[in-house]
This record gives sequence, C-alpha cells and structure tokens, in this order.
Amino acid sequence: MEYTAVIGLEIHVEMKTKSKMFSSSPVSYGFDPNTNVSVVDMAFPGTMPTVNKQAVINAIRVSNALHMSIDDTVIFERKNYFYSDLPKGYQITQQFRPIGSNGYLTINTSNGEKKIRVERLHMEEDTCKQLHSWDFSLLDYNRAGIPLIEIVSKPDLTSGEEAAKYVEKIRSIVSFLDVSDGKMEEGSLRCDVNVSIKEKGSDKLGTKVEIKNLNSIANIQTAIDFEINRQALVLDCGGKIEQETRRFDEGSQETVIMRLKTDAVDYKYFTEPNIPPIKLSKEFIEDAIKSSPELAEARLIRYKELGLNDYDSSLLLVNKETSDYFDKALLSKANPKLIANWVIGDVQSYLNKNNISISNFKVDPLMLGKLVNLISEGKVSSKQAKDIFAEMINSNEDPETIISKSGTSQVSDESALLPIITVLLDANPNLIADYKAGKDRVLGFFVGQVMKQTQGKANPSLTSKLIIEEMNRR
Amino acid sequence: MKEVNESVLQEAANKLMFSLKDDEVQRLLIEFKHIIKQMELIGEIENVDKVEPMTFPFDVTNSFLREDKTSEPLKREDALKNAKDVVDGQIRLPKVVG
Repeated sequence: MEYTAVIGLEIHVEMKTKSKMFSSSPVSYGFDPNTNVSVVDMAFPGTMPTVNKQAVINAIRVSNALHMSIDDTVIFERKNYFYSDLPKGYQITQQFRPIGSNGYLTINTSNGEKKIRVERLHMEEDTCKQLHSWDFSLLDYNRAGIPLIEIVSKPDLTSGEEAAKYVEKIRSIVSFLDVSDGKMEEGSLRCDVNVSIKEKGSDKLGTKVEIKNLNSIANIQTAIDFEINRQALVLDCGGKIEQETRRFDEGSQETVIMRLKTDAVDYKYFTEPNIPPIKLSKEFIEDAIKSSPELAEARLIRYKELGLNDYDSSLLLVNKETSDYFDKALLSKANPKLIANWVIGDVQSYLNKNNISISNFKVDPLMLGKLVNLISEGKVSSKQAKDIFAEMINSNEDPETIISKSGTSQVSDESALLPIITVLLDANPNLIADYKAGKDRVLGFFVGQVMKQTQGKANPSLTSKLIIEEMNRR
Repeated sequence: MKEVNESVLQEAANKLMFSLKDDEVQRLLIEFKHIIKQMELIGEIENVDKVEPMTFPFDVTNSFLREDKTSEPLKREDALKNAKDVVDGQIRLPKVVG
C-alpha cells in the first residue's frame, strides 16, 4: 500500500530576554539551582504577574516574520494541571487568543519550494527543571517563568526532510531576530512532532503518534522517517496504529513507546484574572516590526547585491554569529567577495580545526578587513597574508603592526623594483632576445630572480608587468 | 450539567493524586448539593444564557507592560524555606516519573 504522511510540529522557543515572562528575576543558564527565582516564580501567595514588554515585542517580530495576523489585545489563560514542574498549579499561556495566527513560511527542499502554513504563535512561561534520579526527583526553579514562544504548524509537512527544513527555518528566524539562541542541544529550541499516515489519495486521517525527545534537527528527520516506515509496516501487516507518545532513541535511531495516550487531559482553561487585557497600540506593534533585526532572507538579498553567489552567501548565513562577523568586517570597506572568501575559508577552517565558535574567535572582524585591504592594495601577497593571519590569531595584533615588525610587507613600489630589474636585464641581453623570439619562460625566470633578491617581498604581478615593459623598451 | 456523584469525586481526586475517605466524600456531596442548588437559582433568571461570561468586573484594557529589567532574585535560603526536603539547593521529591 502507498501512504502519505501527515506531520505537524509544535516548537517551543526559549527567549533570551533579561528577565522572566511574568517576573523580573533574571533569565540565566548554568547558575546554581534555585538562585534566580522570585516570589512570583515560586508562587508565593499574593504575588502578581506582570507581562515582560520585550517578550511581547519578540512575539510580534516572530509573528511578523511568519506572515501572521497579530492580535492587538494580549490576553492570557491559565492551563491548570497538578505536577511538580509548576509551583502555581497552572501555567500562564495564551490558549484562546494567541498573539499570532494564520501565517506561513516557505521552505526549500529537494523537491523545490513549499509553503508551510503556521497555525498559531503564542507566549507562555517555561516550567521548572526536574532532575530524575533512580528513586527521587530534584527541582530547580531557575527555568520556571522563562519566556517561551510556542509555534504550531498546520499538518502540511509530509516527510522528515520537510520537517527538518521547517525547524531550520524557524531556528534561523528566532536567532536572527535575537529572540533566542535557538540551540536544540541546549534546549532553547524544543520540538514535538505529530505523525500520522493515510492511504495515498484518501482524505481519511490516520491515528496520530507524538514523538518527543528530539534534540537535533538531524534526529527530527531520522525519527520522522523511521516513524512513517514503522506505521506503514504496522498497517501493511494488518495492525492498528495506537494513539501513543513515543520518544527517539539515539542509540538505536528508532522511536520507542513511552506511553499510550488514553483520555485527553482537561486543563480547565480560564482567563488569567491577574492580568487584565492589554491593548497594544498600532504604533507599538509597528515600532516592534520596524526596529526588528534583519532576517537571514534580507541579508541574503544584501549579500547578493554585494556580488556574492548563493553558495557563499548560504555559508555566511549558516548562523547569525558568522553573518554578524562578516557584516562587521564589511565596515572596513574591503572587497566583500574577498572578505567572504576569508570568513568561509581560512577563518572557518581555523574554527573547525580548533573546535571553537566564531563568537569566541579572537581576531577582530575589522582587522580581518584590514588584512584583506592590504592584499587588494598589493601590499602583501596572498601567501604572506596567510602567515600574517596566523600571527593575528596568535598575538591579536593589527596586521600592519605585524608587517612592520617582521618586515614582510610586499614591495609594490615601482621605484624600489625598477633598479633591480634594470640591473637584471642589463646582465642578460641574450635572454631578452630569447623572450622576443617567443620564449615565454624567460619572464618567469626574471620574476623569480627579482623575488629572490627581494626575499619574496616583491609584488609578483607588478614585477612581471615592469619586466615586460622594460624588455619591450629595449 | 454533569452529575456530581461518588465516582466523579473519586476520579477527580485520583487525577489530582490524593485519596478521599468515605466521610470526606459524603461531606463533599452535601456541599456540592448546596452549591448546585444555588447555581440553579441563577439559572432561573430570564435570558441568563444570553449574557456573555465575564472575567473582569469592568470592561477595561490597559497598556502596561513591564520593562525587561532584572531585579535581585530571592536568597536561596528564603526561596526554599517552605520546602520540606532540600538536597544540594534543590527540592527533593519522591520520584515523579516512572
């Protein structure tokens, strides 16, 4: 039997605001447990939530990037459930009026472009972190209350590849908008997947299976493709798909059952009475959008205008940090194409080799731009530039300082080169005759001689130009 | 409306992870009987089903949003003062997942 998969994604994005969604305690990672909590996060009686302005701005910006309609009234609901990850006994979320609704994004897959509809985007608070040991659980409330954006797709995705591209796009949007680090491996972007399959051409939807514990984009793709095959096999063997929650097992690269979903939990949603409806003015929404940081798509257009090709641009846009580095280097007014070559070439290979990220890279982008300028101006050769670059990494010094210290500057001064050339040509009249008779190799010999005498500092293209001019003159 | 009987109460208690004794069930049943009777009084009001539910006493909105600035968090000792069992600065519970 042939089947079509129907896939929907729920993505939670942890915002990198300074303070929490409903309290002013700091948003932080890696701190000692329970040191970044306030009376609101701990649900002390009588405390009142207040809504973080930046979180609302972030939600507006992401909604706008996803072409959504933006609700100008912010209302929250309580999602009631009894569990240790929530001190209040409920989570404050936006169930009935998400701030963003009915949007879409476009993904590029191996089968071309595809539009994926996005149903809703809402704000909510994160829960506390639970550490489960073999016979007890430990609670750390530092994460409780961190602002989250939840983005729910329509079930428009049909393969692991499409789902992976969709998540990649969302990750790019939230990181370029400075809303989140978007790091799946660190949990700042989390993804739950719903997968069902139906007979090809049929309108009858199959039973949904939810997959959790997906901590990388590669795992999302593998898990979905595995799950589609598993469900097809069950149906082909005359079996029935159970409504269940599965998790991805990295070791076996398979999805394994966690629990059956019996009856749906009733969260008894009702309006959060402690937060009166907030009306956002038209100006507030417009300002949030207008002051929005530049998305990868806009940067791509800008890079192409600078003369970069699609491939190079995509390498620069692989993450926000790399693109930011390139943009800063551009301020040096050096040739964009040459800077790009350095960033995606020597810089990237150094980072890969030493396993460091570009945000921890010591060489100032402006200094790299300066080095590129020195190459364009013919003051250093590309070979010398590589040595200078290595020294810049070592000493963190300005390329010009390094050159003056080591005396490696390329001789591009005609008046310095001409006397050497004249002496050389005077000594070899027979070779000039050979050159004029068509022996091109002679030029290479002369250039080599000049390089030798200048300890490799002569600008090769200028030297060769001057030699030809001199020989023609004789 | 769903009838509130013994099994509904037991099921609710079970979902909330606590157990109810028989006399507690009986007491709750009596309380619910009173509450439901009172609610029926409201139901007798003419056209009550046409009235929109309201969450806030006044139909007003505001535009207050808190600036994204941090304030000093609680001292850990204070934050954890109500917890019965603390290990390494974390609250210890019986294991909550299987």
